[in-house]
Amino acid sequence: MWKSLGIILTSPIKSQYTLLSAENLLQQQLRTTYVLKRRSPAQLHKKGNAPKTLRSRHYVYDLVQQTHVERQPDIDVILNTFVEGLGNVGDRVSVRPQFAYNELLLPGLAVYASPENIEKYKDYNSTIEEKRYSSPNALLTVKTMSRIMISVVMNKEMPWTLKPWHVKISFRKSGYIVPEDTITLPEVPITGPDLSIENKEFFVTVTVFNLIHHWSTSVTDRLPYTPFFWREPGEAIIPDQAPILATLPEKPIKIKNIQ
Amino acid sequence: MAKPDFTTLAFSKMVRNHISYRLLLKREQRKFDDSWKRDPIDNVYVAKYYKWVVYPFSEAVECHRETHHPEVYNKPNANLRVSIELNMQGEKKTRYVDNFSRIAAIPHKFDNGEDRTIIAFSKSAECQKEASEAGAQLSGGVELIKQIQNGQVSLQDFQFIVAHPEILPELVTLRGLMKRRFPNPRAGTLDANLGQVVERFINGVNYSAIKDEHEKDFGIIETFIGTLNMDASQLEENFAALIRDVYSMKPKREGHFISRCLLWSPPSQEKLKVDHNLYLSFIEPNNEMIEEDEEVAEKITL
Repeated sequence: MWKSLGIILTSPIKSQYTLLSAENLLQQQLRTTYVLKRRSPAQLHKKGNAPKTLRSRHYVYDLVQQTHVERQPDIDVILNTFVEGLGNVGDRVSVRPQFAYNELLLPGLAVYASPENIEKYKDYNSTIEEKRYSSPNALLTVKTMSRIMISVVMNKEMPWTLKPWHVKISFRKSGYIVPEDTITLPEVPITGPDLSIENKEFFVTVTVFNLIHHWSTSVTDRLPYTPFFWREPGEAIIPDQAPILATLPEKPIKIKNIQ
Repeated sequence: MAKPDFTTLAFSKMVRNHISYRLLLKREQRKFDDSWKRDPIDNVYVAKYYKWVVYPFSEAVECHRETHHPEVYNKPNANLRVSIELNMQGEKKTRYVDNFSRIAAIPHKFDNGEDRTIIAFSKSAECQKEASEAGAQLSGGVELIKQIQNGQVSLQDFQFIVAHPEILPELVTLRGLMKRRFPNPRAGTLDANLGQVVERFINGVNYSAIKDEHEKDFGIIETFIGTLNMDASQLEENFAALIRDVYSMKPKREGHFISRCLLWSPPSQEKLKVDHNLYLSFIEPNNEMIEEDEEVAEKITL
């Protein structure tokens, strides 16, 4: 059954507006299906006989299924470019239909995975020369991690020199899995205990396969914990690192209502 | 329809129950489930968007040792605590396993920090000697039972009561005094080998499984199985013994009993997930075994 979706209006002024402008009405086919089940069964009749009359009780139904409220199945698309969190060029991914249409197909980042397209884009990997990231999630990880500042807790009494595993455990406590071999410390060794470098910053370089990004970390000894330490303006431990630390992504800014 | 009387206690209780009911609906589930999360692909990633890392036991201990290193926290002899989450669903869907409190026997002892008082009953003198050598506060036979009946010795001073099966008929006279603590084989307090039992109670891991009051099929055990400066293999054996003891309380139904095990060590807040299934051997008819038997039978006939 064809059905047009119209806007139900209350005031007469608005109805005038509708009569004048036709764009407000959605002239689109809505392919909804309602599956109903009779509560009391209708009587069967013999072949060749007239059908038995339906009473009012036969027109009482229970709703079994509505196709427009059910979850649509995921659709397959083939990617044209690198999409973070999904895949590289030429990958076939399964995504929700609305997301696929609005974010991938419409901007031209992907095409439908029809049999013809699958054949056409089978050798996509070899033909296109594009910067390929190690994995779809690597860029996401890098974006998340480049915003953070973590604290490296070191002992106040025992002597220490900062090593990659100290940074690794600080990352792990904050919820980031970073193996030791991916961490590059600054060339100048940081030793302690040294209260003068308390709450000061330095950055380490973490390599996520092919991508390199910098993280800033601040050293805290066993002194009273400063809540929200990442919001305070920080000093660099190694003066050479100061310019790069200044360029690192900003700390979260408080948004105030403008009156 | 009569309007409800807004001043009565019954009405205010009804309102309070409804509010608490609505609050309980919004309560976060304590049961753990990360099966819907993605598997990590890269070597570096943000942990909260992916499934929890399942560490091998020795690696988890190493991780804790790193954070407790002299250069960092400087506490190398910290307790290694274990948090075991249980599915307390009973045999029937609406029935749940009761809270239980047990002592698990462990192969490698460590300092509990607890002073456990044990009284041991047995007929033979050598059994009594064994018990007191193992660490029982008091051990005796029929004379000891008489002393308790007189009132010279009070049962309230002792946490645990163990006995040899021989002395059971005489011990029945004290059943009323002991009530729940009466020696029985299920709890492990009634055994022929008294020395071993006493040793287990002195050195073993004392743990209790407690259900959540609102989420009845969720239970949790929190104990510690040693210190970080112990050998990793010893800690692993202690852990395995604890897991097997916990598993002995499993109800006869399908599905897992232990949902997950977390290793943690104060003062660090890190909790590392460890796979408990490695230490549980399931007794199932092995298809390989049956094939072997058939092969052997063939050989015999030939």
